[in-house]
Amino acid sequence: MEAAREALTMSAVNATQAPPILHLSSVVGSPLRDSAGERLGRVEDVIVRLGGVGYPPITGFLVRVAGRTSFLGVERISDMAPDGVVLRTEKLDLRHFERRPEEVLLKRDLLDRQLINVEGARLVRANEIELAHAGGSWRVVGVDTGPRGGLRRLLPKGLGVHIATGEFLDWAGVEPFVGHVPTVRLRVPHPKLAKLHPAQIADLVEAASRPEGEEIIQAVGDDDRELEADVFEELDDQHQREFLEDRPDAQVAAILSRMAPDDAADIIGELDEDRREPVLALLPVSHRVKVRALLGYDPAEAGGLMSPDFILLAGTTAVSEALREVRESPIAPELLTSVFVRGADGTLEGSVPVAALLRAAEGSRLEAVIKHEVPCIPPDAPFEEIARLMADYNLTAIPVADEHEAMVGVVTVDDLLGAMLPRSWRRRFGLLGED
Amino acid sequence: MVVRVPPVMRRVRSATLGRPRLPARLSPRRTRIFAFVGLLGPGLIAANAGNDAGGVATYASAGAKYGYGLLWTIVLITLSLGVVQMLAARMGVVTGKGLAELIREEYGIRWSVFATSAVLVANLGLCVSEFVGVGASLGLAGIPAQASVPVAALGIWLIIVRGSYRSAERVFIAFTIPFFAYPIAAILAHPHWGAVGRAVVAPHLHASTSYVLLLVATAGTTITPYMQLYLQSAVVERGAREDELAREEREAVSGAVFANLVAAFIVIATGATLFTHGVHDISSAADAARALNPFAGHYAEVLFGVGLLGASLLAAAILPIATSYVISESLGYEKGIGRRREEAPVFVNIITTMLIVSAFVAVIPGVPVISLLIGVQVVNGLLLPINLFFIWRLARSAHVMGARSSRGLPDLVTGITVTVLSTLSLVLVVVTASGG
Repeated sequence: MEAAREALTMSAVNATQAPPILHLSSVVGSPLRDSAGERLGRVEDVIVRLGGVGYPPITGFLVRVAGRTSFLGVERISDMAPDGVVLRTEKLDLRHFERRPEEVLLKRDLLDRQLINVEGARLVRANEIELAHAGGSWRVVGVDTGPRGGLRRLLPKGLGVHIATGEFLDWAGVEPFVGHVPTVRLRVPHPKLAKLHPAQIADLVEAASRPEGEEIIQAVGDDDRELEADVFEELDDQHQREFLEDRPDAQVAAILSRMAPDDAADIIGELDEDRREPVLALLPVSHRVKVRALLGYDPAEAGGLMSPDFILLAGTTAVSEALREVRESPIAPELLTSVFVRGADGTLEGSVPVAALLRAAEGSRLEAVIKHEVPCIPPDAPFEEIARLMADYNLTAIPVADEHEAMVGVVTVDDLLGAMLPRSWRRRFGLLGED
Repeated sequence: MVVRVPPVMRRVRSATLGRPRLPARLSPRRTRIFAFVGLLGPGLIAANAGNDAGGVATYASAGAKYGYGLLWTIVLITLSLGVVQMLAARMGVVTGKGLAELIREEYGIRWSVFATSAVLVANLGLCVSEFVGVGASLGLAGIPAQASVPVAALGIWLIIVRGSYRSAERVFIAFTIPFFAYPIAAILAHPHWGAVGRAVVAPHLHASTSYVLLLVATAGTTITPYMQLYLQSAVVERGAREDELAREEREAVSGAVFANLVAAFIVIATGATLFTHGVHDISSAADAARALNPFAGHYAEVLFGVGLLGASLLAAAILPIATSYVISESLGYEKGIGRRREEAPVFVNIITTMLIVSAFVAVIPGVPVISLLIGVQVVNGLLLPINLFFIWRLARSAHVMGARSSRGLPDLVTGITVTVLSTLSLVLVVVTASGG
């Protein structure tokens, strides 16, 4: 990661003798000249290759010469400036333009379109694309999303050139959408997205248009299936539905099997009725059993909010043994703030916060540190009741037990908070459901 | 677990605010109810905003001057509006982008800035006329405009900025209820229904300049650029998915049909009364309402006034939103009904400024509404052909619309519609600008 970062920064661009920045808009439309300065035609577009590490190199130009649009390789030019592109030779060697994989046209495919500003985790629009000669070749070095770039292109060319280069986003912090470009489709990875938190990626997906959102999810999924599942957990209901609907059952099941059972159950609830069973059938057995059990509960009660993942140990277990369980458990840390203790008959006896385990005397058993006065709630407890108990008893996690007092799940404070936030707040934060 | 959340994340999160979220599962019963409610949406709102103060004045003067003579054009206008609105809805669903956004991406920054500035100017002018309409309709009830207009502006601002997309949509749909006043007013006017029927099917041409002018003005006031811009952006904000495409298109078409039925009833009401009694010159909607009183009774006046109020409020709310959508889309700012100022500053500020400016101008005594409307007509007349041309081109572009691009007969129909409407529009510009 660091090495890649290093390569991306290319000290030559930003440090000592920074090469002059050339605007895409001044190159496009400028004349094409031969080495003697004779005007041969006009530059229509600039072709770059995406996909590699670092700033994308320019590979050629679309030029219009004698009424025909053709391809001109970058190796055939000697200079590029606002007043034109100059050929290396006097002879013009044009070829028919064909898109090669990972190649995009800067004007047609990137300018004026949305991009992901990875540093800021938001969508921006490219008002201008900045080029520079660096590391031995012409490259795209950044994107101007501010008013300067837009104004420069808006004004007549004579006036526009007087607008100085403003601050622009370094290409290292930008990820373009290429889904609309034929031949490039799905071939360009978006490695920079992996730097974002799943919640941020989900926000981008929600803010983007449908095809762009699909592109983000595809790109994330190609690199990292775990991250894709995390992003799905963070998406709102509507987008979860949208993006799962088009996928085959096997893919949906693959995503669900990487999620916590309670999140997976929520998503199953979002699916069309006739797809639920086939998808469930494709889940790994242990996962399926948990998800199916959760689906039996009302989503507006404790059962619909709880996670079936917890550690339940006998009271006679040694504290060191309990700590080993915590250490080796695959359960997410936020679900493991306490371990729960069962009696000889299997009923729930109480809980021990993990911090209390750490503080307990060497060699003691759970019975010695157990907190008996911890409440437990039935699966049909309403959210208000859970909230009251958690506040009264200073709990971050509360056990849920069935009618035989056997523990079936745990409700954590983060899930409860998500469900209990006032409607207007939820709307403001873009959390959950219908307003 | 500590998640480091950069401060900008809040802003991104806000980009999702106000996005509609569908209930997870609809029971079959609810689905049936929603199938009906599904016919009430942005299409209805967009098309009916066209029955605003200016629209009512045009229809009323069409009825007063030529009786039912222009009814047949309303049928043709309905078809054209239906086609155009349907395409806007389709593009919104398929691309997930607003019209201004697509124009920027496909045709570059100059076209989009030109369209955006034209929208800003025309809509600001229209918005003033809407607040004048609000003042005039409540003026019929003796409430001074200096009191009613600021209250209306504040109310609209609260609905847009403090509500969510869904709640705003519901309020806007409620604003269309007063439109039922027009059919009732038409019935109270006791028209000769047989003559109405004949006028609808049989084209009736007068070879006079004023007839042609009124015809063109009717088309111009019924099909305005902001309707497509609003509809497409609203469909996007609604978050309609591709499997809901048919429903959104139906809604766009039925909204256009309803809006034009209302227009037809205005023509019928005024045609049956003012025309037959020789009152041929109507210059404003409030005029029409007052003129109706002696012939169709006090209730007809009240109903006309109520209809005018609903229409003016609706359009006064839609215009700032449409404008703000367009500017935010083409310049790449965050947007959405229900956003707070700190979340989408540009979007909210445009709406706020537009409401304040137009409400303020509207209460200036003796503001020249007529010349204002003429200016608006010229700008809109220039903008509409451009708008329609882009809609046509974008809708048939396989690059933008994929498998949903229009080909063959639908494309031909669109082409003809666009050409005819653009010609009418340019005729209107020439005539208006030359002082005709």
